[in-house]
Amino acid sequence: MQASYWVMSMKLMKLMNKFRAFSARRSIRVLLGIVFALGLAGCKSGAAVTVDIDVPRPLIEPIDVTMGVYFDETLKTFVHQESLEDYGTYSIDIGASQVPVFEQVFDAMFTSTVPMTALSVDNAADDQEQSATAQRIFTSADGRAANLQGILAPTIKEVQFAIPEQTGGEFYEVWINYHIQLFDTDGTLLVNWPLIGYGKANQRNYRAMDQKESGLNSATIWALRDAAALLSFQFRDQAEVQDWLATAAGTTP
Amino acid sequence: MKITRATCIKGLAAGALAALSTACGVSSTVQEVRSAQTDLGDHSIVILSRKHKTQGETEDSFVACVNDSVNRGDDALPVLGEQAFVDATFPWFEPRTAPLDMDDLEKVLNRPLIAERIREIGVRYLIWIEGNTQRSGESGSLQCTVVSGGIPACFGFLSWENGANYEASVWDVHRGTSVGTLSSEASGTSFVPAVVVPLPFIARVQQRACSKLSEQIKQFLGSTA
Repeated sequence: MQASYWVMSMKLMKLMNKFRAFSARRSIRVLLGIVFALGLAGCKSGAAVTVDIDVPRPLIEPIDVTMGVYFDETLKTFVHQESLEDYGTYSIDIGASQVPVFEQVFDAMFTSTVPMTALSVDNAADDQEQSATAQRIFTSADGRAANLQGILAPTIKEVQFAIPEQTGGEFYEVWINYHIQLFDTDGTLLVNWPLIGYGKANQRNYRAMDQKESGLNSATIWALRDAAALLSFQFRDQAEVQDWLATAAGTTP
Repeated sequence: MKITRATCIKGLAAGALAALSTACGVSSTVQEVRSAQTDLGDHSIVILSRKHKTQGETEDSFVACVNDSVNRGDDALPVLGEQAFVDATFPWFEPRTAPLDMDDLEKVLNRPLIAERIREIGVRYLIWIEGNTQRSGESGSLQCTVVSGGIPACFGFLSWENGANYEASVWDVHRGTSVGTLSSEASGTSFVPAVVVPLPFIARVQQRACSKLSEQIKQFLGSTA
């Protein structure tokens, strides 16, 4: 009786050990599977960034003109969304930064600026392509008459970005392709200057956990600063702008 | 004294660890070329990295390390942070607009607004850091698996070379001249032996290059030679 009890106990213990070993192995397999799945999901997860920044006031000599400035709704709410095959879906929201950045830069570029609203929009101007017939009707935002020499309206034509996995390099990169449109006081489009802001951020500067968000965010900030810098320096050097300054504005750049 | 088997194993393990620790030591070299006298006086310095290159960009962590090290200790120098300087002089020191040589710097400093701002913030010397740390010469292999009983274990031996190579160019913004170049190189071999548990012995070459370069900057600008 005692012997059979002993045998049964041993069998039960063996069975329990087998079950424990099976459970441990199974748990580890399940865990490894989860880690692997998470890893794959991480590779394909993409990123969403919202950039809401200001830039410092540029240290530049202002042009002696009173300039109207107009920001359309598309600019103020601009979000770039793109799905990359194998790398997930990405969203870069830069709308909130546009007005603060341009206001700061235009404020430094001209002796005075006046916020404008658009009463009507000609289709040709809406195409964002340079056209002699493109025309808009603007009025000052507060409804008062202003002694303007021109009206500036920045628009975003396109945003592009690249991630290190795509390029094989070590940078997150962002390009913001602006068109800086200059209208005369009648609303005729005079200049449609393409301006590309470029920013990059080295992936080695960010933790692996939130690298995509941090890298893209930083690259976008540098792209906005780059656009602001180039606008500050190069706008007055454009041949068409110099012609306009010499004639309509009656000043020299 | 009785030597047991356990004592012998402990001794061997300690000896192996000591040997590996010595092997992953870091060797470093510093060099200095002075082309003009320096006099910091009551002014401050700015330590900046070049951001216009498409590869080999200096790590932010290295620039932050040099900033902290130069600004710390008994012989600390007054340092204005990189971002504070770049913001204060916007847009003249952005990645695509920063002066690349003395001619560019002179053109920037000839602008009254920027010259006045630099006087306001009290900066005398700009230190441009270039270079980075790279990993090379990787050899061996390390494999991890789940052994019986569900215990994860790693076996093998992995080693690699780390090389840190940095150069700092010192510009005097008051005189619009380059006053010298400092360089710091460090190299070392890292090991990861693994018998069940991997034991990393990492050669901290970037930290060594940072501390050497920081000491050198302090000596270079701290003395009035």
